Amino acid sequence: MKVILLRFGELYLKGDNRHLFESMLIRNIKSKLQGEQFKFEKTFGRYVISGYDDGREKAIVEKLKQVFGLYSLSCAVELPATIEAITAEVEKLQLGNKTFKVFVKRADKKFPLSSMDFAKQLGGVVLSKNHQAEVELYNPQVEIHIDIRLNGKAYMFYDTIKCQGGLPLGCAGRGLLLLSGGIDSPVAGYLVGKRGLEIEALHFHSYPYTSELARDKVLTLAKELVPYVGKIKLHMISFTKVQEMIHMNCSPEYMITIMRRIMMRIAERVCENNNLGAIVTGESLGQVASQTMQSMTVTGGVVKIKPIFRPCITMDKEEIMAVAQAIGTYETSILPYEDCCTVFLPKNPVIKPTIDRCEREEGKLNIEALVEECLAGEETIVVE
Amino acid sequence: MIYLDNAATTAMLEGAVGVYQKYACQSFYNPSANYREAIEIAKGLQDVKLRLKQKLGASVGDVVFTSGATESNNLAIMGSKRNGKWEYVFSVGEHPSVYNVAKELELQGFKVHFVGLSPTGEVDYEMLESVVNDRTRLVSVMHVSNETGAINDIQRIVGIIKDKTQNAMVHVDGVQAFCKIPVDLDALGVDFYTISAHKFHGPKGVGALYVKNPKALKNIVFGGGQEGGLRSGTENVAGIMALDYVVENINVDENYNKVMQLKRLAAEILAEDENVDVLDVGSPYIISVGFKGVNGETLMRALQDYGIIVGMGSACSAKKSGNRILESMGYSKDAVKTRIRLSFNEFLTEQEVCEAANQIIKVYREIWEKVK
Repeated sequence: MKVILLRFGELYLKGDNRHLFESMLIRNIKSKLQGEQFKFEKTFGRYVISGYDDGREKAIVEKLKQVFGLYSLSCAVELPATIEAITAEVEKLQLGNKTFKVFVKRADKKFPLSSMDFAKQLGGVVLSKNHQAEVELYNPQVEIHIDIRLNGKAYMFYDTIKCQGGLPLGCAGRGLLLLSGGIDSPVAGYLVGKRGLEIEALHFHSYPYTSELARDKVLTLAKELVPYVGKIKLHMISFTKVQEMIHMNCSPEYMITIMRRIMMRIAERVCENNNLGAIVTGESLGQVASQTMQSMTVTGGVVKIKPIFRPCITMDKEEIMAVAQAIGTYETSILPYEDCCTVFLPKNPVIKPTIDRCEREEGKLNIEALVEECLAGEETIVVE
Repeated sequence: MIYLDNAATTAMLEGAVGVYQKYACQSFYNPSANYREAIEIAKGLQDVKLRLKQKLGASVGDVVFTSGATESNNLAIMGSKRNGKWEYVFSVGEHPSVYNVAKELELQGFKVHFVGLSPTGEVDYEMLESVVNDRTRLVSVMHVSNETGAINDIQRIVGIIKDKTQNAMVHVDGVQAFCKIPVDLDALGVDFYTISAHKFHGPKGVGALYVKNPKALKNIVFGGGQEGGLRSGTENVAGIMALDYVVENINVDENYNKVMQLKRLAAEILAEDENVDVLDVGSPYIISVGFKGVNGETLMRALQDYGIIVGMGSACSAKKSGNRILESMGYSKDAVKTRIRLSFNEFLTEQEVCEAANQIIKVYREIWEKVK
């Protein structure tokens, strides 16, 4: 019988809470495979997916590769854990003139042969049926794995496919991702998702200064994240008035700093209104003037309670781009529509803003009223 | 809604829709077939060609129907290409469907000259003269600029070229000219001329290339050998017949005068604001307008909320890369960003144009107050 073996990694570390993490992982696996026909079985340290149509195997594997908390998987053949059954299956292998190695692992120590002896014996079986094949212990072209489990079953497979790793989505709670439309913020959403955080997203737009296409782009980005982080509630807030007021009243070099402080205030309010436990941004240390340590001090300074997660903080742009490409958001992110951060862009934004100066500049605005107005105009879209 | 982006596309004439429907649903036969009904269609297409040539003022040559301007431009340029050390001349003001073919020729190893523009958007005639030589295979210059409305003096250009060499052929992209300003190909003396139906109230997906000497052209697509072998593929009969209907029913001179009045009206109202720069250089159908301190795209989006549709120039030129056409005329990158394009049609009323121009000024000032 064809099956898919699933292995999980870090869950081992979770001690007494392991069952909680596991139940989340299992729920996520099942929800990921919704619409597919399959059977799910939990065995010792493995999950086994079976009962699916052969033609769907590839699609199921692709879906499972997106589930956080899974470490690796293998497409395998399930056999009774007997020497005869395993030998009969190995006899069917056709390797042509390839080099190979047989790996045997026994969880069941009562199995009548040692791992080494059984591997040697099976190697002989392969050679007897494939005269041109050769054993190669160090760099074989084909790895034949035999995994003998305690449940009376054995599994034969070739490849181990690496999955996402991380922790099951949802086990870390729910956070709010500030999604701009650039390269970094979707990556940040993916990275916190990988640590188990479910996300909602917040996008600020500046119509008519920004295009409706920029808004569509953010919807597309959210959609591209869904396979990893599940459905996303996207909060859209018009930031036009705030930007106009800052532009009219505040010093140009503080434009971006004040903007981001107001965005953070709004973000914390959206968190409170939606029961979200953290703010997530795509900031990377020193990438632009508004992402220096001093800038983050003053922008983060307005957030009273919620932690701010910045998973890209130590990553180079190339590293962020590589993740964006791997998860499939890069091509959308580089579409040339301006986001609200590039409107009213001052020539010389301040690199080391101070709280004192920010507060003086903000004294020229009615911040509370602006925040309320933004929240009143909020539009939400569920992306799935 | 007041639609001022007629250089991008126009609404189809209702009569043309009727013709289209007739040839799509009743007289739908394939003109390459040999039964009576199909032969009638093939004859009909030949008649359209004769009428079209007459409208173009061409006493010799042939008309090849295509899917539109992009294909016509590609056919003229790539179809006249020959091996050898030939050179090509284009203006930097060309539409992407010419400009990017020029870039492709460059990639293929041909020497390609790009001629700059004068401050009023016409080709720099002296520069053109300086690059044409005995090795020039083709010169391609548009008749009316889709960005600015500037009208190139095609007769003068042909004169300059023929004085220097008899080898060169001349292609003119007439998309913004045909059925809008008077066109007389015999007088202009060009070898190829591109037209596109949807720019003058015909359907999208149909156009034509006038070819003075079909032997000078080779096909660039291969297939059943329709259009004298120059454009294989079943003819878009319904589209061609609808094009024919529009061409036969359009009164170019009358429209020209009417639209000229409309354009002047708009230009006058807009120019009253000292921060507005109206570039009014040739065709009555197109003006380019700059608004000090305000991004043209922002203004365009704000205007759509008031039911006024304006254009940004050719689709791919409003992006970050700037606009090679306006920059070649001497506008800075920043100035280019402040510009929009207004393009008119003969069905607009003076009242609509007044209303739109006043609204544009009003919305511009509102934004300017906030961003200055």
